[in-house]
Amino acid sequence: MERILVTGMGIITSMGAGKAQTMLSLRKEVAAIGKNTLLKTVHNDLPVGEVPFDDDSLKSMLDCELPKAITRTTLLGRVAVKEAIEQSGLDNIRPKRIAFISGTTVGGMEKSEQYYRDFLENDRHSEYIALHDCGACTDMIAAQYPLGFDMVTTISTACSSAANAIILGANLIKAGVVDAALVGGSECLTKFHLNGFNSLMILDKCKCRPFDRDRQGLNLGEGAGYIVIESESSLRARGVKPICELSGYGNACDAYHQTASSPDGQGAYLAMMEALKSASLKPSDIDYINAHGTGTPNNDMSEGHAVMRVFGNNIPPISSTKSFTGHTTSASGGVESVISILAIVNSFIPANLGFSNRIEDLDFSPVMHSEEGVSLRHVLTNSFGFGGNDSSCIFSKI
Amino acid sequence: MEDLVLELKKKIIEVLNLEEVKPEDINENAPLFGEGLGLDSIDALELIVLMEKDYGIKLANAAAGRDVFKSVKTMADYITANRTK
Amino acid sequence: MAYIQSIKQISIQEPLSENWFSNPIVPQAIFNEGIDPDFKQFLSPSITRRMGKLFKRAIVTSAQAMVGFPLDKLDAIITGTGLGCIENTEHFLISMLDNDEECLHPTDFMQSTHNTISSQIALYLKCNGYNNTYSHRGTSFDSALYDAFIQMKLGMISSALVGGHDEMTLKYHSMLCKSGYFKEGMIPGICSLSTLITKDKSDTSLCRISAFNMLYHPSDELLQDCVKNMLSEAGVDSFDAVVTGISGDKENDEVYKKNFDTLYNGRPVLHYKHIFGECFSSSSFGWYVAANCLSQGAMPEHLIYKGQPNVPKAILIHNHFQDKDHSLALLVC
Repeated sequence: MERILVTGMGIITSMGAGKAQTMLSLRKEVAAIGKNTLLKTVHNDLPVGEVPFDDDSLKSMLDCELPKAITRTTLLGRVAVKEAIEQSGLDNIRPKRIAFISGTTVGGMEKSEQYYRDFLENDRHSEYIALHDCGACTDMIAAQYPLGFDMVTTISTACSSAANAIILGANLIKAGVVDAALVGGSECLTKFHLNGFNSLMILDKCKCRPFDRDRQGLNLGEGAGYIVIESESSLRARGVKPICELSGYGNACDAYHQTASSPDGQGAYLAMMEALKSASLKPSDIDYINAHGTGTPNNDMSEGHAVMRVFGNNIPPISSTKSFTGHTTSASGGVESVISILAIVNSFIPANLGFSNRIEDLDFSPVMHSEEGVSLRHVLTNSFGFGGNDSSCIFSKI
Repeated sequence: MEDLVLELKKKIIEVLNLEEVKPEDINENAPLFGEGLGLDSIDALELIVLMEKDYGIKLANAAAGRDVFKSVKTMADYITANRTK
Repeated sequence: MAYIQSIKQISIQEPLSENWFSNPIVPQAIFNEGIDPDFKQFLSPSITRRMGKLFKRAIVTSAQAMVGFPLDKLDAIITGTGLGCIENTEHFLISMLDNDEECLHPTDFMQSTHNTISSQIALYLKCNGYNNTYSHRGTSFDSALYDAFIQMKLGMISSALVGGHDEMTLKYHSMLCKSGYFKEGMIPGICSLSTLITKDKSDTSLCRISAFNMLYHPSDELLQDCVKNMLSEAGVDSFDAVVTGISGDKENDEVYKKNFDTLYNGRPVLHYKHIFGECFSSSSFGWYVAANCLSQGAMPEHLIYKGQPNVPKAILIHNHFQDKDHSLALLVC
């Protein structure tokens, strides 16, 4: 079966837009999490990872004709997609057949929550009704690629959406349905899910502290992350260079509780084991884990136990970059895949900010300071969604 | 206090949609979580909302609820001491 | 290649029944509540107390579709839903707006995330296997089924429980009328359909999925090529009928009608939205209708939009959303 190679990436988060800015920010070791300025909410005491560009700035980054009615999730997605397309040369030479698979959960909710009363009571802003659902968002992001896609769909599995988009894309290539796929996810901050997470009491009033003994919860973030994956023959036909390989992936369901993860991290364990098996790798082959690491008491304990079950006494360096970006929810699998690949390309391990004391029950501590000049053969990235939708991807150096 | 206990039982049944449970089925001293009614973490969050909405008591976090929600009686005692509505 | 083992539905027809095949209820072109079974017969109140209607429907149709299949052999649960539990989403949103973001119910938020249906089914069936949710408007169910089909092709899974689940509220219905999704003449519906798909045939298989494709903005030529390749893949010369998503929406229907004599080769054209209604997951009923026609060896008059009934051996299913997302599938006996 053909190898799946990565030929382009695009990213935008609270750290800024683009890969270069992302690396700069990761090297600075300063969390891009703070007070909301763009999102209007009564909960001004909840730190968030807001992308530092308003919608008009995002539109000018795109520098192309856009529909008048457009949502923030779409804009973020298009910015990241634009970067991925440019890096992979998709706009120069179109792969024979290409799919676009995008993950989102909020879709157009950021506009719906502003205009809901109008939707019901009058005709103002009713052009946004059709932009509410997830599929509409994907459709509008797809328009960023003028050469067009052969197949488009949307995955919505909360925090593992983008990771599952990567998995479907890879399966489509392996099955010979397409030669390439642009895959990832996009999510903007909304009052809806900020309040939702707040009602679940899993938000931290301080900056999040993944894997720390005294962690109190997560900080929400926003952003988009997409990668271009293609078969080796497509890459050769297009004359482009591979950045790294998507060597394995796994998807499993925790099936434990609607929002909480199981104490022993069964779903996470199964997803990681499946990823290793599909990559034909042993746990000892993994040189770095980009954890899901939200900073909630439940996730970090559960994921921690799962990591211990998989890696035993040889746990590789592990960090959660949600300590930089906040939890970008449906985009996180895409954002963190890009960061994992940047780690490989730059021989760099990002820090896990906010950590002071090890969780008593766990045998490991995350990486407190970033490391340079580290050759990373294989990187595992985890994305675990509400309801136990657990997915893991492995990227490998070429 | 008895009125509050009965009121609480009715509200718990309503808010948590315990369809087949009647107020007289709930022992005010029996554990609400684990055994007894067998409520879970989501129910605890809903009870926190109930405390704020109906009695004006804001609990800081889910952990703070653990002692308050031990039984209907402990809830009633806490509400009596802290209610602002 | 994959096989449809069972399909169970709750809709605006008689629930968990195939009576619609010979004797359909004729729905009105108004907001339609679904017709629900007595859930207490299937689920205990302790399980359902936090579940809205869509959840209960999804669990019941899933459990019924799984009857006779060992739970520990289920490899995947994949769901398509256009709007998720829109009732809970609406409760949470309106509550948030009315109460200035205070005193909000976490249960409503939990149910509002689209993947909650698929993971709730996994929780109920205790299935740790592959789990995914697609939310892509009119091809949400198609995407879910396609994922299962591709994984079976790759030998990654041998069985999958695939569902299409959507509900509707009065408020959201009024919004969709405003946005032009619901037009005059269309019948709004709800959908909870679960189907068990397996890699291998069994004595109780309803039919075989011989070929399946999903396309985006396809040209007429591409659709023609696609069908040609599908027939060749299935090893059949032609199909005996075409199941379409004709709905009463002129623009939508025109995309099907222009294919009557070309892509559909003049074969009898069937429709189903006149009895099952329209919602984002209603394409699942197209599969349901096709599977029943094949397994029962008949095409009831009321399902025929154009042409004469025959005893079908192969049926082409064509579904599209706004002529952007298309799905084509070939089902054979």
